[in-house]
Amino acid sequence: MSGSGHLIRFFLNDKLVEIDFNASAGLKPTTTVLNYLRSLPFYKGVKEGCAEGDCGACTVVVAEVQNGKLVHKAIDSCLVFLPMLYGKQLITVEHLADGKDLHPVQQAMVDENGSQCGYCTPGIVMSLFGIYKNHHHPSREVIQDALTGNLCRCTGYRPIIDAAESACSSRGWDHFSLAEANTIRLLDELNSGKELIEIHTSLQQYYKPFTLADALECRRLHPEALITCGSTDVALRQTKKKELLREIIDISDVAGLKFLEENIDDFRIGAGVSLENLLQYSKDRIPALYNILKIFGSLQIRNLATIGGNIGSASPIGDTLPVLFASRARVRLQSTEGVRFLNIEDFITGYRSVDLKPGELITEIIIPKGSPEQIIRSYKVSRRKDLDISSVSAGFSMLAVNGTVSEIILAFGGMAAQTIRATKTETFLTGKEWNQAQVGKAMDILHHEFTPLSDARAGADYRNLVARNLLMKFYLESSDHNI
Amino acid sequence: MKPENLKHDSAIRHVTGQSVYVNDMEVSSLQLTGRVVYSQVAHGLITSLDYSMALKVKGIAAILTAKDIPGANQMGPVVHDELCLAIDEVTFIGQAILLIAAENEDAAVEAEHLIKIEYQELEAVLSLRDAMEKNLLISKPRMIHNGNAQEALKISPHVFTGELETGAQEHWYLETQSALVVPGEGKEMMVYASSQNPAETQAIVAEVLGISKNEVDVEVRRMGGAFGGKETQANHVAAWAALLANATRRPVKIHLFRDDDQKITGKRHRFLSKYSIGFNDAGKILAYQVELNSDAGAATDLSMAILERALFHAENAYFIPDISITGRAYRTNLPSNTAFRGFGGPQGMAVIEQAIDRIARFLKKDPAVVRKLNFYGFESENQTPYGKIIENNRLHVMFDRLMVSSGYPDRRKEIDAYNREHKYSKRGLALTPVKFGISFTTAFLNQAGALVNIYKDGTVQVNHGGTEMGQGLYAKMLGVAATELGISTEFIKITATNTSKVPNTSATAASSGSDLNGMAVKNAIAVLKARLKKVALTQFEKDGLKNIESCDLEFADNHVFSKMQPTAKIPFKRLVVAAYLDQVSLSSTGFYKTPGIHFDRETGKGNPFYYFAYGMAVSEVQADVLTGECKLLRTDILHDVGDSLNEDIDIGQIEGGFIQGVGWVTTEEIKWDPKGRLLNHSPDTYKIPTVNDIPEVFNVDLLRDHPNEGTIRKSKAVGEPPLMLAFSVWLAIKDAISAVGNHKYEPDFSLPATAEVVLLSITEIQKKN
Repeated sequence: MSGSGHLIRFFLNDKLVEIDFNASAGLKPTTTVLNYLRSLPFYKGVKEGCAEGDCGACTVVVAEVQNGKLVHKAIDSCLVFLPMLYGKQLITVEHLADGKDLHPVQQAMVDENGSQCGYCTPGIVMSLFGIYKNHHHPSREVIQDALTGNLCRCTGYRPIIDAAESACSSRGWDHFSLAEANTIRLLDELNSGKELIEIHTSLQQYYKPFTLADALECRRLHPEALITCGSTDVALRQTKKKELLREIIDISDVAGLKFLEENIDDFRIGAGVSLENLLQYSKDRIPALYNILKIFGSLQIRNLATIGGNIGSASPIGDTLPVLFASRARVRLQSTEGVRFLNIEDFITGYRSVDLKPGELITEIIIPKGSPEQIIRSYKVSRRKDLDISSVSAGFSMLAVNGTVSEIILAFGGMAAQTIRATKTETFLTGKEWNQAQVGKAMDILHHEFTPLSDARAGADYRNLVARNLLMKFYLESSDHNI
Repeated sequence: MKPENLKHDSAIRHVTGQSVYVNDMEVSSLQLTGRVVYSQVAHGLITSLDYSMALKVKGIAAILTAKDIPGANQMGPVVHDELCLAIDEVTFIGQAILLIAAENEDAAVEAEHLIKIEYQELEAVLSLRDAMEKNLLISKPRMIHNGNAQEALKISPHVFTGELETGAQEHWYLETQSALVVPGEGKEMMVYASSQNPAETQAIVAEVLGISKNEVDVEVRRMGGAFGGKETQANHVAAWAALLANATRRPVKIHLFRDDDQKITGKRHRFLSKYSIGFNDAGKILAYQVELNSDAGAATDLSMAILERALFHAENAYFIPDISITGRAYRTNLPSNTAFRGFGGPQGMAVIEQAIDRIARFLKKDPAVVRKLNFYGFESENQTPYGKIIENNRLHVMFDRLMVSSGYPDRRKEIDAYNREHKYSKRGLALTPVKFGISFTTAFLNQAGALVNIYKDGTVQVNHGGTEMGQGLYAKMLGVAATELGISTEFIKITATNTSKVPNTSATAASSGSDLNGMAVKNAIAVLKARLKKVALTQFEKDGLKNIESCDLEFADNHVFSKMQPTAKIPFKRLVVAAYLDQVSLSSTGFYKTPGIHFDRETGKGNPFYYFAYGMAVSEVQADVLTGECKLLRTDILHDVGDSLNEDIDIGQIEGGFIQGVGWVTTEEIKWDPKGRLLNHSPDTYKIPTVNDIPEVFNVDLLRDHPNEGTIRKSKAVGEPPLMLAFSVWLAIKDAISAVGNHKYEPDFSLPATAEVVLLSITEIQKKN
């Protein structure tokens, strides 16, 4: 392993901050960016609304250099641990105005009456700033997608959409544009020669590798440590369950996990690729995955969460899993000892449990392209369309030869303790004609194939009904019916 | 900027992150964090309570129980039936038992984990049906009736009976309940609260501390949303923080964690209502008998006033000759339910709205036509069940305009065609009206005060009893003050609401903030203007200008001048200096009470409202027949705010209120487990509308040229009424479900109409079809 440091360096707006967790009273390596900012005297614009990434009141923008360009991402600061800011610029609402001149997104919010009680407003302004830096003349779809993660209880959102439209129709210049070259230079300096960071405090050990080799070595030396990448799931154990996270390996900055590769037969996706990057990538390449990612969390969440994390957490309603099942995806697992490949189905072993050996990391997900005749679709049914956890999710694939089903996968989330295939229904349909009558019979089998739970999100009867009806939806879509 | 075009007074501070909320305040390095430890069982006896280990945690300054309360262990606002801290029995999950003050949150959490509470569980009443069966009335029933509904039902050509459940709703203000209490000299307590009712917060803090009210100052600069949730229950965190501040003599701040806030505080009352409705072949309602049953929770709080407002709105916009409305509120082992925008009105209206929908379906008529047929009339059919004559009825003009602007008749045909062509996707359309009574129905609450100070540099401070929760009250008051004083808004500051500036105020509630405080501000300024006019006349005389009449003097453009002699003109600032030198007081209070409000609970008759605010909406939805998911395609709203005090702010209230209502009728579902544990205690499982849940086409317009005589600048209240416009969405969903069975069958339905409710209802219809 290469040499190591213990200091965290990043820019807070235009100020370089260096944090030594052993010398900073009140700060832990798992202190969230939100709590860090609010502990400072002049950074209370950022608000805590829920501490679970569901409201966006804590939205900040993080800028980082990618391929020589400055990239701006809105994130939920309540879910991010301070060391994850290493080498980045943290932009807060206090820094948007240029002296007395409001930033265009701020001015538009004032002009369009976009604030009422004002508590969600700093977060909304930061999401608008994210749109401003990333889009010119954004469509309403882009605007609404970027605001999905910001709850407002007062306005009904209309004036906020109008503010986004009016602010982002300009050239997109601001005082950040003027400073951009300098910011890139400063961030490059910060990132040059970075090496493994090890933070040891009396209560916590935090490891932050930057290379895959260091990450695997950390994993070998500290097999019990929690692995976190996007931290959208792990952070909740601290913010919601008030657990002390004692030992953490933070792989959010491991360059070797962030690739997207297209081959003749498959797509290879680095486990550390954010769901937002994957969303953009899959748009024209993997439509069924794209469809599910479109309604996955919010932009702030997708900017953090990774495909490896979503698979590794093995949630029963992990939204990417059913479509990965349907696509016969595989995972690549690596340790200092070697490499293994597993089918996604074999990798998921139970409720939040996976076949990951001590020392192993998920390094990539391989999605086969399948044949052109194969129909793959994904579905998500939730109480609220966006930023909600599904009541039922599904990934289906079907290959028919001369109108007869030769291969079918019906994978569901939300119907059992883990992502599960409707094997009885699959067996029934295999070899049958792909028509409404057979699908109708299959629906009756499917209706009784699972015994889901009734919980805060949905009742068991509803889940069974939806599972059954999604098969009909799949049939109708596969046969281009007007529904 | 013109007063009616003013932006929200804090708009720039909001967008720059400079608006200060209670949780942003740090008044001293001695400031402590407060934490509430609450019951984990719905009903039980506390058999042991041990916090000795918790006291040993480093950084713990105090742990308090009921025994440590120096004053009254009570925080009920109307009926004194709500303990500040539980003594030996707990009656709901979320009931406060202990309070911790600590140097930081980590220490407080660590201490909480070390507190051992054991309970002997008792039988808990967790459903409204159960409470009704056991007849656990929290107070005596309320009744309003006119004519003889029972007899009229017997002779009605058609009679329906039915039941409707309307669900609870969590306020989900973005800023959770917060208070910071700073002890001063002697017994003094300075309370920075996030409260809609500073005067009551002051009273409750004084009572739990056992001190007099003149020792307690409460200040509210702004709230990060309230919606009724901070009308009484903000008092609780203030009282808890005050107890800790008193015990430690250090500033203590409590800011509830989101999940704790959702678990501890009350919600919109869920109702279970039963009705019989009689009507003729034309769809005219002849008789209506309705029982409105509400879940009050463990204590009374505002439940009876809320129930009364439900009764007052049971007939909504419709004249019903023979009517009988009964209301009962029941005690359950859940947190005490409380005010929420609409204050019972929505629950009362929901029943009649869906009953009319049912009548129309049965008669194969368009529901909008049946609604119009039953609207209150002008010369006749214009008396409410409680005896108030409806004046300035806006229903008919709004209906006519909205039918045209929304293109309702054509769209009805288009939707029918769409539904014929689509098996798995159905569309629905609905028009619903709102007629909402404005005034506190508890007559004496209809009063407000203001204090206006003019300083020697010509600048003005306006203080009033209303609180700012985002609704733009301060901007409206700024507009009123600027207009009345005739000076630019830059010279006027609306200060934080403070009990030492304006005492004995009512809650900013019942949509009354602008009506009451606007008049109080106007009256305070009128006193000052009278004094200043005298000074001006003296000045004009000194300047040799004769025959100037006081009644000709006008305040405008930062000057005082005579309308008759324009040369007689003094800058406001100079006039103020002259007044000071003349030893004239530049400070005045103002007071206002709404005239003529009375209601007799025994007879159920009176004049509980000063006037009505009206609104109407048309909504169109699309339902996915396979999943039950619904999408809101279009909403057209026409709303009556009289002559608007500020159009942008009023439209913000209409849009925001409507969307909040859409949440209540669609995705905001609250469930408890069999032990009484709230299942939806965070935004993870409690789903308020996002930006994607608003109508794809959203047209909001004001009813112009219909001034409201007798109110501040002929305006109308706007806070609550728009919420109920969301019934248009709810019933459009029902219309879409009904289309699955070609409108032959009445869909099973409740509120909220979640995707689950919709799909199960569709499945029932498919079985019948």
